[in-house]
Amino acid sequence: MRVAIAEDSAILRDGLAQLLTDRGHEVVAAVPDADGLRAAVEHDPPDVCVVDIRMPPSFTDEGLRAAIALRHSHPQVGVLVFSQYVETRYAAELLAGSTRGVGYLLKDRVADVREFVEALTRVAGGGTALDPEVVAQLLGASRKTDTLASLTPREHEVLTLMAEGLSNAGIAGKLVVTERAVEKHVANILLKLDLPPSDTENRRVLAVLRYLES
Amino acid sequence: MTDRRPVRTFFTALLTRQAWAELLYAIILLPMGVFGFSLTVTTLTFSGGLMITFVGLPLLAGTGLLSRYLGQRWRAGANRLLGWDVPAPPPFRAKPGLLGWLSSCLRDGTAWRARLYLALQLPLGIASSVAAAFFVSYGIGALTYGIWYRWLPCNTDPRTHVCHHAAALWNEHYIETTPAILLTALAGLVIIFLAPWIVRGVLAIDRITMRALLGPSWTSSRVEELEQTRAQAVDDSAATLRRIERDLHDGTQARLVALAMNVGLAKEKLAEGGDPSEAAALLERAHTTAKDAIAEVRDLARGIHPPVLDAGLDAALATLCAHSAVPVELRTRLSVRPSPSIETITYFCAAELITNVAKHSGARRAVLDATTTGSRLRLSVFDDGRGGAQLGGGTGLSGLTDRVRTVDGRLTVDSPAGGPTTVTVDLPLAPLQGDSPRNSLQEGQH
Repeated sequence: MRVAIAEDSAILRDGLAQLLTDRGHEVVAAVPDADGLRAAVEHDPPDVCVVDIRMPPSFTDEGLRAAIALRHSHPQVGVLVFSQYVETRYAAELLAGSTRGVGYLLKDRVADVREFVEALTRVAGGGTALDPEVVAQLLGASRKTDTLASLTPREHEVLTLMAEGLSNAGIAGKLVVTERAVEKHVANILLKLDLPPSDTENRRVLAVLRYLES
Repeated sequence: MTDRRPVRTFFTALLTRQAWAELLYAIILLPMGVFGFSLTVTTLTFSGGLMITFVGLPLLAGTGLLSRYLGQRWRAGANRLLGWDVPAPPPFRAKPGLLGWLSSCLRDGTAWRARLYLALQLPLGIASSVAAAFFVSYGIGALTYGIWYRWLPCNTDPRTHVCHHAAALWNEHYIETTPAILLTALAGLVIIFLAPWIVRGVLAIDRITMRALLGPSWTSSRVEELEQTRAQAVDDSAATLRRIERDLHDGTQARLVALAMNVGLAKEKLAEGGDPSEAAALLERAHTTAKDAIAEVRDLARGIHPPVLDAGLDAALATLCAHSAVPVELRTRLSVRPSPSIETITYFCAAELITNVAKHSGARRAVLDATTTGSRLRLSVFDDGRGGAQLGGGTGLSGLTDRVRTVDGRLTVDSPAGGPTTVTVDLPLAPLQGDSPRNSLQEGQH
């Protein structure tokens, strides 16, 4: 996997680069700001970018702006937005349109190195990685409380992991159940939420997110 | 007036636009004074007389507003004509309803003060126009005496019974010889050149009266000042919070994430049965990061409130001086302990000023003095550096000034080019306590 990193904190940038290199990935660019990222992607598009939201010069949301622009200009490049806060509004802006090759994670997630790299790989491969915090915020803010209450606790867990962007195999691994069992739960959930069954995970994530937002 | 050559300034004053504007003003002040005085006296007596009917109070209120309006027009005109800078009072604000309007009018201090000013215009107008007329007519008269004296009526000397066509001084010295006439002309010239200064002197009284009676009252000036400093205090604390958030976000939080990342990596290495020395290296890095994060949090906490302040201002200032890059001699005479907020402000002022000395002055030594006298605390920082420090010179001094003003303190800078520099901060011992309005009024007029 070829990765570009845009992060203004040198200690985190170097740490991330080290971590990815150790695992056999190639870090093609490690830059401290959005301009550097744009130039790096123009010059040699990577598989995925890790983008901090708050970067110089204004330290507000230039990372997010750059990520959204990249998603339009280079749809084949995955974008993982990496931030110390999760804001539902930022998530909504980032996911507007499609959930293909996009992620939004809290920086804390890097502490679980394997999960972090898995999420990044998923985004690089065109999948989705949403922070559990974002999903929790979406679930908490959702007005579909009646329908959501009709889910069993296990189905609720599966829905959360679906929204985070995990595949059936990923969900099965996390919950320590068989993939077969996950498939059954997913079918039940889609039935209860009145969502069409979808063949790809991307469409499934999008459907779930739209459902929660509406 | 700013000219350094006083003799030249004295003689050229007559030729300035200012002098003619003042002369004009001095003359029209008299008719205006007659009008203003009569207006005030008649409206007050009429309203008073009609007070038993329902017309009295509205008349009093309406004429108050009229006086306010006239006074303000006059003030604005004088500012424009003479280049004065008497500030405007706050605009009239009526409470809703007819009764509200009435009581607002009657309780409007500005209107009552305007009435008083209009009445005082009469004596002021008499004084100014008499001064102007006297000096102008006598000056011109004496200057041209040599031309017209021969047509004077016969002035008979009571002792010799000789007829003189001339003016007499003390009834015996007749001004008819050439030296006497020239001397008279010279005296006329002096009077003419003196005239603008006399008029300006009389108008200075009018200016003081106007400032007191047509300008904002002490209360409204104070309200305006408090509004300003309150806004500054709010902005200041918002900026401080933003700075703290940024420091936490960019520094400590990033370090803790890196720490978690390294520990996570080490944990995985060990779980996978990998090379323990690699895990040890990761832990070593995590250890360093953890220590850095601790130091950073400590600095940040100290920046919010230095714990040493709890031991007293002198202890905190001693620590501050000890850490300074430039040697600082500390002198404290703190007989009373100031309130905690004043101690904090004093401490941060001292810290900023000492940092400034080290950063900008190129000084070899500095003296920090903190003294309490009465209900005030005076902090001064002296340095023998290159001087030239200014408020708003980008040295953070204007920020300090704003901060100090929020508690009615003052910051003064004495820093001639070439040095030395003394910055003095004068603070109350407690914010807005032991600080009678009278005291503050005197403070404000310095």
